[in-house]
Amino acid sequence: MKAKLFAVVGTLALVIVAVPVFAHHGTAAYDTQNALTFKGTVTEFRFINPHCQIYFDVKNDKGEVEHWQGELTAPNKLARAGWTKHSLNPGDQITVSGFSGKYGGHSLWIRKLIAPDGQSMQLFED
Amino acid sequence: MRKGSVNWILAALVLAAIPCASYAQYGAGKAIPPTGGKPATEKANAAPAPAPVHDLSGVWMMRNPPGSDRGYTNYTYTDPKTDPPAMTAWGEEKFKEAKDSNGGNYTLDKTNDPVLTRCYPPGTPRVYFHPYPFEFVQGKKFMLMVFEYDHTLRRIYTDGRPLPADPDPSWMGYSVGHWEGNTTFVVDTVGFNEKTWLDRLGHAHSEQLHVTERFRRVDRDHLQLDITMVDPKALAKPWTTTFYYENRPEWELGEISCSGDYLDFNKFESFSFKKKDDAAK
Repeated sequence: MKAKLFAVVGTLALVIVAVPVFAHHGTAAYDTQNALTFKGTVTEFRFINPHCQIYFDVKNDKGEVEHWQGELTAPNKLARAGWTKHSLNPGDQITVSGFSGKYGGHSLWIRKLIAPDGQSMQLFED
Repeated sequence: MRKGSVNWILAALVLAAIPCASYAQYGAGKAIPPTGGKPATEKANAAPAPAPVHDLSGVWMMRNPPGSDRGYTNYTYTDPKTDPPAMTAWGEEKFKEAKDSNGGNYTLDKTNDPVLTRCYPPGTPRVYFHPYPFEFVQGKKFMLMVFEYDHTLRRIYTDGRPLPADPDPSWMGYSVGHWEGNTTFVVDTVGFNEKTWLDRLGHAHSEQLHVTERFRRVDRDHLQLDITMVDPKALAKPWTTTFYYENRPEWELGEISCSGDYLDFNKFESFSFKKKDDAAK
């Protein structure tokens, strides 16, 4: 029950804070009604336009490794929140929450990111 | 305690932890720089300093007033449900052809948004929807507006010249400006092509579009921008809106380029979602 409760509240929070939409494109491709949370290992971090990309591996219920891609906002906005191109590195253990595609695919619009040191990383400038 | 009560208490705690300001929702983390680029008045919680005379120079970033419900300012000027623009028949027809992405109606492989699909300059005033800062650079005979998004530049002549009677079509328009009082800069812009949208939802404009912008520096740190769009071919009535900005003295504009990967959507996996039955065709 505890786990279920957490999932419900977590989803609610993510839906409500989903105010800022993407800078460059809309969110029609994403299922914004259901938030997902993963623990994964960073394989690549691209600090690029239009939106920064994090590639990470996740173990699914069967123990298989799934390759996921996650999307953040533009590098300028992250830079103003304190990020650099070295903020994430291959091998980093992260926890990410966000919305995946309506039509499947291992892609995530990241709304919350816990860094390897357990801290929540700021995803927009102040 | 009943389970239902626990649910509500937890939900209330989560909600209470979410700040209203949309850009500051993720709380403290290791990546947060000390005090960031916030205006000095916010840092010190002091009364705002008065606006300087005839001076808009500096970096400005859109920020809706705290507590306001203006989510639509990410993609259109007035609430599309309660206060849509009055369009002419021509405007309505063009709007029906539009397939927006930023309003959430079409994915990137389906939209016909000219900025997203062709990297066209956004036009004036659509440029204000890009959630990046702009900078005013004041010259003696003109004011420059430098937008971080795609290095977009506007030159606003302040040498007293009139608007051209028969302007050539352009992306961002031909602008002249003058001061009203000490702190309000009024800009008139004409000379647009018809290739851009007025907003990110696809409302149309014609070459007859005339945009008036009133930049009022409310105090040192805050700017209010009142915009009026007049276009007898596309709009049945003038369309008016207001944007709000904060001064960011510690920010420097960076590079946001629309070229290259911007148009190569398939490089970004999230852009290329297809329905499974589409993929099978």
